[in-house]
Amino acid sequence: MPLDFNYAHPEALVSTQWVVEHLDDPSLCIVESNEDILLYDTGHLKGALHIDWRRDLQDPLVRDYIQPKDFAALCSSHGITPETTVVFYGDKSNWWACYALWVFRLFGHTKVKIMNGGRDKWILEGRTLVRDLPQREPAHYPVPLVRLDDEIRAFYEDAWSQSQKKQPLVDVRSPGEFSGEITHMPEYPQEGVLRGGHIPGAHSVPWKRAVNPDGTFKSAQELHHIYQQSLGLKPNDPLIAYCRIGERSSHTWFVLTYLLGFLHVRNYDGSWTEWGNRVRAPIERL
Amino acid sequence: MSDYPQKLSSIIFLFEGLSDGERRETLIAYADQAKTHEPKEGEVFDFEDVRKDEECTDSVGIYLTRDKHQRLHFKVKLGPHVQTLTRAMTSILCKGLDGITNEDLEKIPQDFVPKIVGAELIRARSQTVYYLLTRIKTAARVWGRRNSH
Repeated sequence: MPLDFNYAHPEALVSTQWVVEHLDDPSLCIVESNEDILLYDTGHLKGALHIDWRRDLQDPLVRDYIQPKDFAALCSSHGITPETTVVFYGDKSNWWACYALWVFRLFGHTKVKIMNGGRDKWILEGRTLVRDLPQREPAHYPVPLVRLDDEIRAFYEDAWSQSQKKQPLVDVRSPGEFSGEITHMPEYPQEGVLRGGHIPGAHSVPWKRAVNPDGTFKSAQELHHIYQQSLGLKPNDPLIAYCRIGERSSHTWFVLTYLLGFLHVRNYDGSWTEWGNRVRAPIERL
Repeated sequence: MSDYPQKLSSIIFLFEGLSDGERRETLIAYADQAKTHEPKEGEVFDFEDVRKDEECTDSVGIYLTRDKHQRLHFKVKLGPHVQTLTRAMTSILCKGLDGITNEDLEKIPQDFVPKIVGAELIRARSQTVYYLLTRIKTAARVWGRRNSH
């Protein structure tokens, strides 16, 4: 199916066929990012690098992302420069691909794309996977001057303020997590959250509503209907999305920012594992 | 090492000598073999425990038989969404625990798992790497109880 050019930024989404045609393009770097920690090693797109959301993008000690100098070192070692277009894909309908893309944007890297449908669609189409590790010459990535924490990332205080001001908060978790019935994703282990429910005033829009059964994104018209017509969100709204640890909300962040063209979307990566454990944080339940 | 059966000891010994890269490659090789440990059509078992738990991303079926020497043999069927590390542990445990007695299985400590998968993967996936061992032990325990009367 051809991509929908009615998206606000159609250039941010590429098809598997487009990737096939650009596998040898030296201006591109294809990056796989997964939940399954060994999946890349079982086979990946020819030339694709592996970036692990935890090992490569998070600080090993403090709950935070790596520092700008570490990001520069990561990119340099993989032959990525600020001019490189990075195409992300992965498992789980591109959750972690969107998460990695969001972290790249956090460091100001603008040339980013998602392969629509991710790894599962690639495999479903019978396309080739290889086990050879890519040989990319190291490059020089200058240390980013800032991390865009104020622009595309939200912290507890921001989410609290948003709730008090009755500005839009989008909870992208499953309905059971939103209602407080369960404190973990269906089919996932409990990760130590003490309270269930949602941030007062948050709207429930599970991330999955934005995708088709094959993991590709819904059309611009369908997404417009979900987020704008039904929910009443406007592209100029200051908006915060959250989930459990920021991976599913990265997916929604991508939808709102790149596919619908919202201008002020922030991802609250502390999400429910912070809010649901925080002493005296207010909680609503259904 | 003396607490482990010989076959499992050999696998642990193999992994302990590997670099991180070699360890990942070896885990993948074991994961690739997971299908060979599935029950075959028409095979009969003494005990079957098939279910989907929160600790794993898809269903896991444990199939157990006991031979005339009171030794246990395991087959495992995994749902398509089970992750690679669990598939690797399936092969490792089906091979490493093959022929163990129920009493010896109960005594096996779980401290061999980090020796196989390594500290990095334990940190990243601490909740799932022990899952299959727990399921195998539970199946053997339940079956043992049912047949002790």
